[in-house]
Amino acid sequence: MSTLLEVNGVVRSFGGIHAVDGASFDVEQGSITSLIGPNGAGKSTLFNVVSGFLRPESGRVVLDGRRIDRRPPYAIARGGLVRTFQTPRALGRMTVRENVLIAAPQHPGERLPQTILRPRRVRGRERSARARADELLTLVGLENHADALASTLSGGQRKLLDFARALMTGPRLLLLDEPMAGVSPTLRVQLLQHVLELRERNGVTFLIVEHDLDLVMRVSDVVVVMNEGRVIASGRPAAVSADPRVVDAYLGARP
Amino acid sequence: MSTIASGEFWAFVGVVAGIYTLLGLGIQLEFGFAGLLNFGHVAFMAIGAYTMAIVVVKLGWSMWIGAPLAILTAAAAGVAVGLPTLRLRADYFAIVTIAFSEIVRYVATNEERLTGGTQGTINLAGAGEASSYNGQWERFQGWLQSTLHLGSKDVTMLIVVWVAALAGCTALWAAGRTPWGRVLRGIREDEDAVASLGKNVFAFRLQALAIGSGLAGLAGCFYAWQFSFFSPNDFAPLLTFFAWMIVILGGLGRFFAVPVGAVVFGVLFAGTRFFDFAPFSWFDSAERAYLRLMVIGLAIIGLILFRPQGLLGRREELVLE
Repeated sequence: MSTLLEVNGVVRSFGGIHAVDGASFDVEQGSITSLIGPNGAGKSTLFNVVSGFLRPESGRVVLDGRRIDRRPPYAIARGGLVRTFQTPRALGRMTVRENVLIAAPQHPGERLPQTILRPRRVRGRERSARARADELLTLVGLENHADALASTLSGGQRKLLDFARALMTGPRLLLLDEPMAGVSPTLRVQLLQHVLELRERNGVTFLIVEHDLDLVMRVSDVVVVMNEGRVIASGRPAAVSADPRVVDAYLGARP
Repeated sequence: MSTIASGEFWAFVGVVAGIYTLLGLGIQLEFGFAGLLNFGHVAFMAIGAYTMAIVVVKLGWSMWIGAPLAILTAAAAGVAVGLPTLRLRADYFAIVTIAFSEIVRYVATNEERLTGGTQGTINLAGAGEASSYNGQWERFQGWLQSTLHLGSKDVTMLIVVWVAALAGCTALWAAGRTPWGRVLRGIREDEDAVASLGKNVFAFRLQALAIGSGLAGLAGCFYAWQFSFFSPNDFAPLLTFFAWMIVILGGLGRFFAVPVGAVVFGVLFAGTRFFDFAPFSWFDSAERAYLRLMVIGLAIIGLILFRPQGLLGRREELVLE
């Protein structure tokens, strides 16, 4: 397997406190890699650095051989690295379907001159985007809400909408920030199935922050453990959960 | 009571409402769609009006070149303001734009050689030489009046302004329904979410600002033609807030709400001039002038209380997260 994402010595601090303090790890192509660690370990900050929403003070982030740590979020997303947010970001005054449609990549209709000069091409793309959006909404079980305003959805449903929207971009690497938080147990199973299927069928790679450790250990190929801004262990789930440093980080060091 | 029944007067009110519509459309696009708080919108109207007048008087070019140039210059000014400031937070952007509009007004006041200074466009050709930029416009208006067999100049102007205003409205309505408009609405809702999906938020906002500013430039041209003379103080910040009131009165997020808001605002503004019955008749005319503004303010507050979503807005869209 080849490395898709390389995080190398990333440092990012807020007011003198190093939220991420020299974190390094790799994400292999086609893997499900989980990022775990106690609260305040720096997982969310690292997510923001990798997706371009924060700039690292030092260190490198490399996607598929190209440095991305100085690029804006939209450029990184176009490069195939797409994230979701811990608190889902539904576009409230737009319909659920529009929320997904807005993520359609390379849509000619987003260039105003094209909508006038090549209306047929724009309409054609819009039709195919709509079909894809409805497919994804069915996938996450929101097809009956397609025409409702997104502000009417529950927290768990918004998580699913975020997931569908991220998929609409056709990502190569999907960063999911606590995808299971607030999602009902039945939906969790479904969501997990989608993740596994997407990896099998479309070769999507996943980097997931998740607090449900049972689930993490069950589905991940690689688990990366962070504590106090650093990566303290990484490897296969079984090896990581047996690592005394990991146990220390979660339960406190033994005397 | 003779004025209130005069068609000429109401045609005038209608022309002003049409100009306000063009001005409000820019605010609707920038705020109602792209979420931009532009509190300096009037600056682009001023730039449009002055560009047209200067091109016609100083360069001696046709107004058919002057007017498109005015629109382009206003749009370019929008881009120039947007480039360094669009990355600012919404509230900071609002402060920068209101400062910009005052800068434009002060420059127009003090750059006498370029703009005619405080005396306005009458002084555009230099001292002692009264200048006029709208001879060509008057001829065009006269030609249109006779061709269409219209009753008066005011009615002709009313038709021209409203054709432009409704054309602008229709064009923006169509643009708002494209995937381009969808991205703008998404940016209004949550710019980070839209950026995370690969959309260049900055570029979309810049486009909205350029289009809105260009429309303000066109409004400036009509303003100049209607009044045949203007000065820097015509473009005080109050005009920006009139445009905002119109958009909020009509309803956010819908382009056809703007002409409705503009007409209601125009009628409120003009209609209250005729309050000479009790209790208004208890006051003298100077006091009545102030009282009138208070009545307008109360009426607008009442309308907003009664219909917070505006006349044509959708109530469910008012619910914030």
